[in-house]
Amino acid sequence: MNRVATNLFRCRSASKIATLALLITLHLGLNAADTANDSSAASKVTVQLEAKKAGPRGVENLTQRAIVRDYRSAWTTMSHALEFNTLDPIDVPFAGDAKRVVHDTVISQQRSGIRQVFTDQNHQLQAVFYAPEGDAIELHDTASYRQQVLDGSRSIQDRRVVMYYVVLMTPSADRWVVRQMQVVQQF
Amino acid sequence: MGRLRLIVTWMFLSLSLALCLDGLCAAEDSGVRVPTSVIAGEPATISTMGSGRATFYVLGPGISRKSDVRLGEEIHLDSQYTRNAGAYQVIVCADTCQSATFYVTADKAAALTFLVHPSRVPVSQSNAVSGVAIPFDQFRNLIFTPLNVNFQLTTGNTLLLSRAVRTQDGVAWFRNASGRSAGALQVVASLDEVSARRVVQQVASDPCNLRIEGERTKTGIMVQTEPVHDCSGNPVPDGTIVTFTAVEQNGKSTVDAPIKQGIARAQISGPGGAVISAASGVVMGNEVRVGAQP
Repeated sequence: MNRVATNLFRCRSASKIATLALLITLHLGLNAADTANDSSAASKVTVQLEAKKAGPRGVENLTQRAIVRDYRSAWTTMSHALEFNTLDPIDVPFAGDAKRVVHDTVISQQRSGIRQVFTDQNHQLQAVFYAPEGDAIELHDTASYRQQVLDGSRSIQDRRVVMYYVVLMTPSADRWVVRQMQVVQQF
Repeated sequence: MGRLRLIVTWMFLSLSLALCLDGLCAAEDSGVRVPTSVIAGEPATISTMGSGRATFYVLGPGISRKSDVRLGEEIHLDSQYTRNAGAYQVIVCADTCQSATFYVTADKAAALTFLVHPSRVPVSQSNAVSGVAIPFDQFRNLIFTPLNVNFQLTTGNTLLLSRAVRTQDGVAWFRNASGRSAGALQVVASLDEVSARRVVQQVASDPCNLRIEGERTKTGIMVQTEPVHDCSGNPVPDGTIVTFTAVEQNGKSTVDAPIKQGIARAQISGPGGAVISAASGVVMGNEVRVGAQP
């Protein structure tokens, strides 16, 4: 009788533990899903390219797709770097002066304790120049995004802005890299 | 839930309207005055209004600064902080934060990035040489104000091209035919005192008037070209392959031979007579008929 009771108790305990484990798993899973959703929302970068007016060389479809992919990657990387003040990811999508400027901004932010968060990014790219041999492309990016500036954990600025970027990209071994990225008042 | 959200939204809108009627919503961006435009590497002065202590932030390309300031006093931004062209965001926080943006533009041209293609080019090819010049200031900022870039192409003492091209969106470019003689093609882009020089090696084009002669030897047929030139008279470089084809009674045989000191030679074995022709790339030469061994 005692053995039966003990087994029943064990069985109920095991059932409770299993239920608890299931709840914890569900909870963690839901949280993880939320985090993933937040993260994907934060890193949402929409890029569209209009290349009909580019010259003197026409931009082929495959090249257009590669530029959109790599420019989006550059913004995702830069947003991550400026939000978490980390230099790890900037080597791949940036080169030359653009890389130097992003690097200096991150180092400067690390010193001042400032962070910038870019969300809901939309980039309307227009190719304005594509070199005769295809070794450089100049893009005009009308970028709209929500920019939050944080001093530590305190938000000191939260606004939606439209900025005008002039971008120079060049092909590297397996991708297009951003070499220049300069904001202008207007195109 | 929906009703609660509606109430909260209504309260928020009412509060916003009340604040606006008090003139507080217009206060944003009004307490900070920034210069309309700054040249890269020049100091900037920012004015604040009000009194008391505040925290001053400036965020720009390559810069993120934070410092304590007194409202009502001018803030001087040193020239080292305005080297990169772009948008600079100024935020001043006391009880509330106010912000303004100013733009730094490039200084005068101090460097030229000059891309020239190709590094080797056959002579007399139309639109074969191209160049792109991009002016930068001393801080490596792109310059968007239109500037005249002079392109010059010279080979030996001959001027092939001299053209002034106005930059558009910060870029000037040219495309031109290669010269008629093999050798170095000097390509120069200049802008005021700034210039950049590149060298393109012009090489002979495809062979022209490929002519061969052949004679019977003890072991077969010795065939060779006359000195191989392109249509402009430039000797075709050594190593260029000439293919000799011999059509005999029993069949056909081919031999590839590189040009050495301007001439390609090949030995074709066999006692019979043959019709021999030569080709190099897409260029065909003449045919020679060599009789059979007596």
